[in-house]
Amino acid sequence: MSEPLLAVEDLRVRFHTEDGVVGAVDGISYTVERGKVLGIVGESGSGKSVSSLTVMGLSRGSNTDISGRALFEGRDLLTLGSDEMRRVRGNDIAMIFQDPLSSLHPFYKVGKQLVEAIRAHQDVSKEAARTRAAELLALVGIPDPRGRLDNYPHEFSGGMRQRVMIAMALANDPKLLIADEPTTALDVTVQAQILELIGRLREELGMAVIIITHDLGVVAETADEIAVMYAGQIVERAPTDRLFAAPEHPYTWGLLRSIPRLDTPRGEQLVPIAGRPPSLISPPSGCRFHPRCPYARARHAEVVPPLEPVPEDPGHEVACLLEPPTRRALWAALRDGAAPEDARSRIMGDTRAEAMAPVAQPVAAAAESAAPGTTENPT
Amino acid sequence: MLRYIIRRLLWMVVLLFLVSLVTFVIFYLLPSADPAVMRAGRQGSPELIERIRHTLGLDKPWPVQYYEYMKAVVLHFDFGYSYQNNSDVREQITSRLPATISLTLGSVILWLSVGLPIGIISAIRRRSRLDRLAMGGALLAISAPVYWLGLVLLYLFANDIGVIKLFPGAGSYEPLTENPGKWFGSLILPWMALAAAFAAFYARMLRSNLIEAMSEDYIRTARAKGLPEWRVVLGHGVRAAITPIVTVLGLDIGILLGGAILTESVFNVPGVGRLAYDAIQHADLPVIQGTVLFGAFFIIVANLVVDIMYAFLDPRVRYT
Amino acid sequence: MRKSLSLAVLAVLAGVLLMALAACGSDSNDKSSSNGSSSGNGSEFNAALPASDQKKGGTLTVPSVESFQHLDPGQAYFQLDYMVDYAVHRSLYYYKPDNSETAVPDLADGDPQVSKDGKTVTVKLKKGIKYGTNKNVPGVTGSEVKAADVKYSFERTSKPSVPNGYVSVYFPFEGGPSKGIETPDDHTLVFHLAKPFGATMAKALVMPITMPIPERYAKKFDADTPNRYDTHPDEQAFTGPYMIQSYSAGKSLTLVRNPNWDGATDTRPAYVDKIVWKMGADPTVRDRQVLDGQNMVNGDTLAGPTVKRAATGAKDQISFSPLGNRYVSLNTQKKPFSDVNVRKAVAAVLDRRAMQLARGGALVGDVATHFLPPGLPGFEEAGGMEGPGFDFLKNQSGDLKVAQDYMKKAGYSSGKYNGPQIVMYGDNASPAKDTTLVVQRGLEQLGFKVKFNQVEHSAFYDTCQTVAKVKDKIDVCANPGWLPDFFDPYAMLNAVFNGEAIVPQNNVNMSLFDDKKINAEMDRAAELTGAERAKAWGEIDKQLTEQVASIPWFWDKQANLQAKNVHGVIAKWNAAWDLSWTSIK
Repeated sequence: MSEPLLAVEDLRVRFHTEDGVVGAVDGISYTVERGKVLGIVGESGSGKSVSSLTVMGLSRGSNTDISGRALFEGRDLLTLGSDEMRRVRGNDIAMIFQDPLSSLHPFYKVGKQLVEAIRAHQDVSKEAARTRAAELLALVGIPDPRGRLDNYPHEFSGGMRQRVMIAMALANDPKLLIADEPTTALDVTVQAQILELIGRLREELGMAVIIITHDLGVVAETADEIAVMYAGQIVERAPTDRLFAAPEHPYTWGLLRSIPRLDTPRGEQLVPIAGRPPSLISPPSGCRFHPRCPYARARHAEVVPPLEPVPEDPGHEVACLLEPPTRRALWAALRDGAAPEDARSRIMGDTRAEAMAPVAQPVAAAAESAAPGTTENPT
Repeated sequence: MLRYIIRRLLWMVVLLFLVSLVTFVIFYLLPSADPAVMRAGRQGSPELIERIRHTLGLDKPWPVQYYEYMKAVVLHFDFGYSYQNNSDVREQITSRLPATISLTLGSVILWLSVGLPIGIISAIRRRSRLDRLAMGGALLAISAPVYWLGLVLLYLFANDIGVIKLFPGAGSYEPLTENPGKWFGSLILPWMALAAAFAAFYARMLRSNLIEAMSEDYIRTARAKGLPEWRVVLGHGVRAAITPIVTVLGLDIGILLGGAILTESVFNVPGVGRLAYDAIQHADLPVIQGTVLFGAFFIIVANLVVDIMYAFLDPRVRYT
Repeated sequence: MRKSLSLAVLAVLAGVLLMALAACGSDSNDKSSSNGSSSGNGSEFNAALPASDQKKGGTLTVPSVESFQHLDPGQAYFQLDYMVDYAVHRSLYYYKPDNSETAVPDLADGDPQVSKDGKTVTVKLKKGIKYGTNKNVPGVTGSEVKAADVKYSFERTSKPSVPNGYVSVYFPFEGGPSKGIETPDDHTLVFHLAKPFGATMAKALVMPITMPIPERYAKKFDADTPNRYDTHPDEQAFTGPYMIQSYSAGKSLTLVRNPNWDGATDTRPAYVDKIVWKMGADPTVRDRQVLDGQNMVNGDTLAGPTVKRAATGAKDQISFSPLGNRYVSLNTQKKPFSDVNVRKAVAAVLDRRAMQLARGGALVGDVATHFLPPGLPGFEEAGGMEGPGFDFLKNQSGDLKVAQDYMKKAGYSSGKYNGPQIVMYGDNASPAKDTTLVVQRGLEQLGFKVKFNQVEHSAFYDTCQTVAKVKDKIDVCANPGWLPDFFDPYAMLNAVFNGEAIVPQNNVNMSLFDDKKINAEMDRAAELTGAERAKAWGEIDKQLTEQVASIPWFWDKQANLQAKNVHGVIAKWNAAWDLSWTSIK
C-alpha cells in the first residue's frame, strides 16, 4: 500500500494551565488513507478534538507543548512554520465544527464567508469566487444557491448551516476533511442527511475524512476505520465492521451499549458508562479506564496496557489488560443482555470490590481522588 | 425600519417636551433668586422690578410661562433671552456649537485612533508586558480627573505657561472658518485632555470584547479557512468586538455634544458646556433650559442613531 | 451694591489648583497670610499707579472667568461692565485712577455748580466731543455730544428696555428726568432736584448713567426689550478713547481706538492700541497665564492660591486694593436682636479673626472695626483701622466675658440666651459658608439655638433682601457685603442703614435698621461737602457701629495681577484695572 495521506505518530499535546499541566493527548498514533474515512470516537475531554486541532495547527500557543509527528503527504505538519501551516489549512486539510451557527460569523453573509475561504488560497476575482461559492452551495444541496449567497447565517436552518460549513470546507478541494462532531448540534433526521452528504462528497471528490464524535452510531455507516479514545489515548482501533462485530475494550462496550439501536428491545434501558472522564492533569495510574471499568483488577491500577494487535483479527488493536478469552466471553455475555456485574461474576468469578480490595487500598484511594465521583460498583 | 424610525422620532418629540417641562418646573419651583430682581440690579425700586417682571412675563402663572416658552421654541425656534448675559439664547448656543462639535469630533478621532489599536494589541498579546503596561496606563488615564489632566497638560505643553512650550494654551481657540491652522493648534491640548480617559476606556473595552470574541467558534473557523492571523483578528474578531463599542461611542458623542464642561472650562474653549455651567451658576433659566434641551436632543438623537446603526452592524437585529 | 464676583464658584475650582500645583512640584508655602492687620496697599506689592514713563502701543489681553452683564451704560452695575464702559464712554465726571477723593470733569467743563438750597445742580459740557461708531451712522458718527444726549441717558431709564436702579436713588429729579433736567443750550445741563440733595447728586455724576446716548440714534433700540443697545454693544455710539469693535456674549470683546476721540479734551492717556477681552477662562489657568505670560492683566477675581503664591513670589505683579465691606446683619425689628445689648453681645462674641482666616487671611482683607472701608472719606474720622474703640469690638478674636456682660444687661441673668430658637440664613458654598459657621458657633456660645438655612448665593440675597421674608421670620442674615456705587460714604452707608431707604424688595437694609436720629443725620450729611462731609459720615459710622446696625467684620481687598511686561494701573474707586491707563512696557 502506498504512503498514507496522514500518519500521526506518538502525538502528545500538553497545555499549561493555572491548575497544572493538562496532558490532553498522550501518545496517539493513527493513519488515514487517501479517500478513506476514519472515525475518532470518545467522550468529551478524551483528546479527540485536540488531536485534530493539533494536526490543523490550531492548538499552537505559548502554553502548549506538542511532540510527535503528523506526516501529511510525507510532510510533518507539526514542524511547519505558521505561514506554511496556514497554506495547508483550508486548502489541503479543511475542518468543520459541531455548532454551525456559532462557527459561522454572524455579521457576514455566507457568500462573503465562502468567497473569503476561496480567496484565501486561490488567486481569483471576487466574481469568480462568487460563482464558485454558488457551485459549492449547490454541491452540498442548498437550493437557490445564487440567491442564498446573500443570506446571513441566522437565516438558514441548522442543517443548511452545516451544509454551508461543509461547502466552505470544500472550497479548495481539500484532500482531508476533519469533521468535528458534525451532527451533534442537529436534530436526528438532519443528522442522517449530513452524514449521507459527507459520505457522498467523499466518494465524488475522493477526499479522506476524519469524523470526530462521541457517538459510535454516527460513524457506524460512514467510517472505514474507527479509533476509540479515552483520556488522551487510543484504547482500541479497528475496521468499522470489526469494531461493531467484536469490540475488545470494556470502554468500547460501554459506548456501544449507550447507542440507541433499532434492535434494542423496547423497555431495555440504555446504559451510560458510569463515572466521569478522568482528570487529565493527574490521570489514573495503570490503565486509565480502571477506575470506571467494571472488570478492573487490582493489578490494572499499576500496569499500563500497550496498544496491541488482537490475535486473529488483523487490523484490530486494543489496549486492555484482560486476557483475550475473558474479553470475548464478557462481550458475549453483555451482548446477550447481561448486566456488567453479573457478567463479571459469571465469567471472572469474583466481584469488582473483592478484586480491587486486597492490594489496592492506597491505589484505589489515589484513583478516587484523581477521579472524584467514580463509584466502586457502577450499576 | 421606516415605521420604527418614525415612531422613535415621535417619541423623541414627546421626550423633549418632558425634559423641557421638568427643567422648567425644577427651576421655577425650587428656591432661587428672582430673575426680575436680578435684572433690576442694584436696589431696583419695586416699580422697576414689577416692570421687568411684566416684560419678562414672570408675572404670569408658570404653566402659561411654559406654554409661551414652548410656543416660541416650536414656532420660531426662539429660546428666549438670557437674564445674565442679556443675549439671545439660540444665538449663544448655535454660536458655541461649532466649538463643542470641534472639540468632540476631534477627540473622538484621537481616542479611537489611540484606544482601538491599544485595545487590539493588548487583547492579542494578552498578559504580555506590553498588555500590562497599556492596561496600567489605561487605569491611570481613567482615574485622572479631566480637569486635573487639563491643568497638567497646560503646565507641561502650553506655549504660554508650559514647561515645554509646544502647543497653544488656554483661551487660544479660533473658529475653523476663521483660521484652520490656529483652530487645529488651539484644540490639540483640549483634544488630548478629553480623549485620554475615553481612549483608555475604549482600549479596555475593546480588549475585553476582543478577548471574548477571539474565543468564539467563528474565529476557529476563520483560522481553519487558512486566513492570515491579522485578517482573523481584524476581519473577524474586531468586527464582532467593535459592535458594542459603536453603541457606546454613539452615546458618548451625544453626551459630549451637549457640552464637555470641564475640558471647555480649563482650556476656555467657548462651547456649550461652559455656557451651561455659567448659566447654572447664575440661575439663568432660559440658558439652562436651552442647553438642557439641546443636550437632551443630542443624546436622544444619538440613541436613535445608535439603534439604527446596530441594525446595520448586527444583521440579526431587526426593528419593526 | 455694585456687584462683585460670586466667589463660591471660584473656590471650588481653586481647591483643585492645590492638586495641580502639588503635581508640578511647586511650593505654595504661605508665610504672609498668617498674621494680622496690615493696612491696604502695602508698599511691598505692586503699587499699580500711573507713571510718566508709560509707553503707547501694543495689545492688551484681559482674560476673565465671568462675563459681562450689561454694557449699556444705562444698565451697567457689574464691576466688569464698569471696566469697559469707562474706556469706551465718557461720563460727566471721572475719577483719575490714583485719586478717588476728587472726581475730575470729563464730558463736563468745570465742577458742578450746586445751588445754595442744594436743589439745583448745573453742569457745563465741553465743546467738540464727538461720537465714534464702528459702522458709519449718518447723523451720529462724528456728531457732537450735546446736553440733550445726557438728558436722554436719564430719560430712557423710564422705559422697560432700560432697567436702572440708580436714578431713583441718587438722582431725585423734580418731576422725573424729562421735567427735572433742563438743557438751556447744547452745552448746559441744569438738574432740578425734589430735595436738597445736590451735594451727593454731584458726587454721583461720575456714574455710567451720565454717559451720553444720542436719542436720535438710540431711540429705535430702546423701543424693544431686550435692548439691542445692550445686547449688541458694538453698535453703540462711543465717546471714550476706545470703541467696542466686536462682542460675542460670554466669549470675547475687542476694543480698538476710537478715531473720533480727541485726547486733548481728555485726561486719559489711552496707552494701548487694542484690548482683547476673553471670557469664560478657568481661574487657575488664567492666573497662571497672567503670571507667566505677556501683555495680560486679570479681568476678574483671582483664585485664592494664586493670591498667596504671587504675594510671596511675584510681589511686583500683584496689587491689593481695598473695596467694600462685609458684615453680619441681625434683625433689629424682631426679638431678641431688637435689643441693642443683645446685638452688642453677639458682636463681642464673634471671632472676626477666625472669619478673616476662613475668608482667605490678611491678604484678601482686614478685620473691620467699623463700616466705612479704608480710603473712603470718613474712614479716618470714624477711627481708622483701630476703630471707634467700643469694648464689644475690641478683641478681634471675640470676648465671651464682655458678651455675657451685655447679655446680662439685656436681662439674661445667666449671661446666656434662653429664648426660642433663632433663624439664620447664609450661603451654602465656601468661603462665605465657612465664615457663617464661625457666626453660628459664636451664637451658640451665647446659648442661642440656631436654625441655619444654607442656601445658594443668589437665593441668600433674594431672601434677605425681601422685607416680607425677613421681618418676622429671619433673625440673622449671615454674609452680606457692600460695595459703594461711587466713592463716597453716602453710597456706602445710606442705602444699607437709612431706615427711610427700606423697600419691600431688593432691600439692602437687611437688619431693617431704622433709627430716626441717624436717618436724619444721614439726610443732613448728604448735603455737606468736603471735610465737613467726611467728618459727618465718620460720625454716622461710629453711631451705626455703636448701635450695632449690623456687625462689621471685614474690609475686602481685591487682588489684581499683571503680566511682567505690563504696567497696570488700578482704578482705586473700582479696585480693578483702568484700561485707559494700563500700558505695555
